[in-house]
Amino acid sequence: MSTEMHPATGNSRRRLLRGIAAVAVALPLTFGAAACGGDDNEGSSTDANKPVELSVFYWGSEKRAELTQTALDAYKAKNPNVSFKITWQANQGYADKLATLAASGDVPDLFATDDNMLADFATRNVTADLNEYKGNKLDLSKFPPSLVEYGTVDGKLVGIAAGENTQGLVYNKTLLTTNALPEPTTGMTWEAFIDWAAQVTTKTKVPGTMDPSADYKAFWVWLRQQGKDLYNGKQFGFTADDVAKWFTLWKGARDKKATPTADIIHEGNVTDISKQLVVTGKAATSFVWANQMPELKKSTKDDLGVVAYPGDPSAQWARAAMYWNVANSSDNKAVAVDVINFLVNDEAAVTALGTDRGLPSNMDLRAKFAETVTDPAMKLSIQVENDLASKFGKAPQVPPKGHSTFRSELVKAAENVQFGRATPEKAAADLIAVVQPKLG
Amino acid sequence: MALTTANSPSVRASQGTGASAKRRRPRRGPQREGLAGYIFLSPWLIGLMGITAIPMLLSLYLSFTNYDVLSPLGEAEWVGLANYKRMFTSDPSYWRSVTVTVSFALIAVPLKLAAALGVALLLNKAWRGVGLFRGLFYLPSLIGGSVALAIVWVNMFNREGAFNGFLAIFGIEGKPWVNDPSWALETLMVLAIWQFGAPMVIFLAGLKQVPTELYEAASVDGAGRFRQFMSVTLPMLSPVIFFNLVLETINGFQGFTAAFVLSDGTGGPVDSTLMYTLNLYLKGWREYEMGYASAMAWVFLLAIGIITAVFFSTGRFWVHYSDGDDR
Repeated sequence: MSTEMHPATGNSRRRLLRGIAAVAVALPLTFGAAACGGDDNEGSSTDANKPVELSVFYWGSEKRAELTQTALDAYKAKNPNVSFKITWQANQGYADKLATLAASGDVPDLFATDDNMLADFATRNVTADLNEYKGNKLDLSKFPPSLVEYGTVDGKLVGIAAGENTQGLVYNKTLLTTNALPEPTTGMTWEAFIDWAAQVTTKTKVPGTMDPSADYKAFWVWLRQQGKDLYNGKQFGFTADDVAKWFTLWKGARDKKATPTADIIHEGNVTDISKQLVVTGKAATSFVWANQMPELKKSTKDDLGVVAYPGDPSAQWARAAMYWNVANSSDNKAVAVDVINFLVNDEAAVTALGTDRGLPSNMDLRAKFAETVTDPAMKLSIQVENDLASKFGKAPQVPPKGHSTFRSELVKAAENVQFGRATPEKAAADLIAVVQPKLG
Repeated sequence: MALTTANSPSVRASQGTGASAKRRRPRRGPQREGLAGYIFLSPWLIGLMGITAIPMLLSLYLSFTNYDVLSPLGEAEWVGLANYKRMFTSDPSYWRSVTVTVSFALIAVPLKLAAALGVALLLNKAWRGVGLFRGLFYLPSLIGGSVALAIVWVNMFNREGAFNGFLAIFGIEGKPWVNDPSWALETLMVLAIWQFGAPMVIFLAGLKQVPTELYEAASVDGAGRFRQFMSVTLPMLSPVIFFNLVLETINGFQGFTAAFVLSDGTGGPVDSTLMYTLNLYLKGWREYEMGYASAMAWVFLLAIGIITAVFFSTGRFWVHYSDGDDR
């Protein structure tokens, strides 16, 4: 190292230090200023024309993102002071992401949930109670009353139904007609349905039906047909015996070859629409939601049909397919409520959104919209749901906290039986023991 | 020498700025040096504190609470050792995930190291094109923890996958590997073993360090290839083996990505791929039991620490460091 360099190094070093000190002083100032900016916005939120940026978060497909963008643009056209910061992602991992945002105190102003997560978020006050807006900013008068109830947790109105759906048994119509087989019908018993499926397997070599042992919504309908329910308050509305009976019913179906093998059933035990066995060609029927018809149709060339789940269809109910929620921590609750009101009650918005999140919740607009629909898959799902509407039973309560644990444990228990690793009785008893303490 | 170099700049600098600075120099010089040192260290220090140390301490605190992610941190209640007690006494999924993780590490790590060493021995020759092969064998490690690779794996090892197609050529009927609880974890092991490139490169570097005169002396003494490998290569390579063993064991225990993707984030089928870290994630983010998940993380950290300590304490019986030691 040459000594002649040192004086220069010393000078520049001092200059550098001074620079760092300046930055160190300036940084907090910048943050401080930013914080002040935030306070300003909050203070003047009463001014109706004040620019507001609303963060929006939901899950779905590319298609849904386009539809939602169109609807929100329509709102923006009428309310130029409101802009949206939209984030969306696939269903897989959505709840995890929302929980992360909640943990960091950064819940989006307006976000979507479904009945699997609603109670978890509502009981921890992540969602705002919208009762105070009902009747003024939020018009729910055209909603079926059961749909409003299905967004209420512990007396708080925490979710506004973005659409309505119900359970739908979707079958591969092309496969059945080319093999001269009868189509399943609404109201056939579970036993008759399983026999029919076994017959389909024999004739087409494609297993007649997905095994829905692990499917909470199928189990739920079946329970209601036995005069029980999934939940009774914060407790199970059934016993281990009921689960064992349900598992045994499907064990019988597998013995008759009415269903695929356990590994294929495992493939179908995901929420991903494009992996449902009826569209991957690995089974002739799948247990899904009726409004998923158009989305299912995209993954197959075959014609699809849809009926109610087997058994008495009055066990089914008008379910809020998903909800719009407002963050309890939001500074712009009133604006967010206004946007929700627009999305569910404005004709342009409802027409843009279609049946993607379920049939429109507003009954007047649903009827209007139904007349204009041309997509055959969408038409069919609307028609089936309208046919069922007269038979619908009373809606159950929103599933309590711990429901997501129940769902994943049901899959585990059912697969344990399907892979022959546990008897229906053992799996049922374990399931209850694990989930019971988590409810509440 | 180091001392003079460190001091000279400030000496020169103060000489340049005149008498007043000169008077204060003995007191303030070293202080300012220290300050500058910390400022230059600050990116790393801030990272360590903000991203590692403080969150870790926070998670230690959380492990004694019932924090549920969704409620504000302030509402978390102190529950003492309840989380730790539950782990060891009343959570079957916990022990399931311990079993899965330990069997994964016990089988995959030794096989991966054996594969790495074997291929390194083959590639430690002056063949034509050996560089190309080194690159090719290293490639899987480059794309190692990626989600894309795990997705490819799922599609190769399901019922209609490429692997079963290959088996069909020989008239063997394959299994639905990734969707069968008896084989899903084994499929993950194969994936881990296949990515032996990183330890292989380290082995290669180690092999180059073995002095050729040792082999010459051994062959003069009449030692065959196997004897040379056992008595020269392995002892000389033992520090590198030790290094790889410790590193790969820790990696093996922490496996998450592949298990997460392969099981669609569930640890299924039937908990067969429920790795410890995956279970921890599910507890924290799916069941909103972050307090419990934090406790799991701390037990995990301790367990890995103990395993590493055991490696280090047994090391002196089988790891030979040649420098300054004429054994």
